[in-house]
Amino acid sequence: MLEVESKKNILVTGATSGIGKGLVISLLQDPENIVYGIGRDEEKISGLLDKQNFKFIAYDLTDINSIENMFRDKFENVKFDGFVHCAGMEETIPITLYSPEKVLQIFQINVFSAIELLRLLSKKKYSENNASFVLLSSVMGELGQAGKVGYCASKAALLGVVKSLALELAKREIRVNAVSPGIVNTPLTSQLFQQLDAKNVDRIKDMHPMGIGKVDDVADLLCFLLSEKARWITGQNLKIDGGYSVQ
Amino acid sequence: MEKQEFLKNLQEVLEVEQTLTVETNLKDLDEWDSMTAMLLIGYVSDEFGVTLTGDNIGEISTVQSVIDFIGESKFS
Repeated sequence: MLEVESKKNILVTGATSGIGKGLVISLLQDPENIVYGIGRDEEKISGLLDKQNFKFIAYDLTDINSIENMFRDKFENVKFDGFVHCAGMEETIPITLYSPEKVLQIFQINVFSAIELLRLLSKKKYSENNASFVLLSSVMGELGQAGKVGYCASKAALLGVVKSLALELAKREIRVNAVSPGIVNTPLTSQLFQQLDAKNVDRIKDMHPMGIGKVDDVADLLCFLLSEKARWITGQNLKIDGGYSVQ
Repeated sequence: MEKQEFLKNLQEVLEVEQTLTVETNLKDLDEWDSMTAMLLIGYVSDEFGVTLTGDNIGEISTVQSVIDFIGESKFS
């Protein structure tokens, strides 16, 4: 009985790639964690599927209207102690090439799916008191970059969500925070670097005084925020960027 | 797409004053800079589903060289 009570249910979106996948791997090292990963492509995470404390849910979060049904279906009697929203997309589009559909698309995955997940997780039936919710923003949530109107706006929107919801859920001692990484070595970054010439790639790397980050650098901070050790931290945006944003 | 239509669209997207021909060297245009390159990448991706890399942009010179990257078969 005691053992059951010490287990922690943690939900991670974007679990099949980059920071989300790194976080899942970190969390699974503690057998007391039961990790629920949401992602689109099961194959990308096939090495983890046989872990006893890992449950994978194949789901496309752009289908926002069915998230509630997915919760009913997959999380009956599951109360979460932690939630990390890593799902997201990045794009470089000059504003004159934007369309309302493209703006909607990036907001749907980066922001609206997060709000819908948080709406459900804020209910007592899906979350424990003292739970910790973390949204992955970006240093671009506060800074700007040419061609990143949609990305910067969506990541900034998450910071608003965090501050407001932290106050709403403080009564239940549920903490809500954002983590804003600089450039981290992930598949998304490789994709971005491919679009740039070598000179620009070097320039971006040089903008990070401590070099670009590793997935584990961010996963460690996420694990800390999920833990009891961060019990008095809420409504914050924690930047982790090797010094990028203080220049 | 007809090459004439491509030239017209490209001129509009890149917002260049000069009338473009296949021989126009894009990098000689007054308007050419990193934002123009970004517009070119975005337009080619939207219209043809072809992703131009940073290296491709380095190699591009004339409009014809862009057409070559996209693939002559996509033009009539």
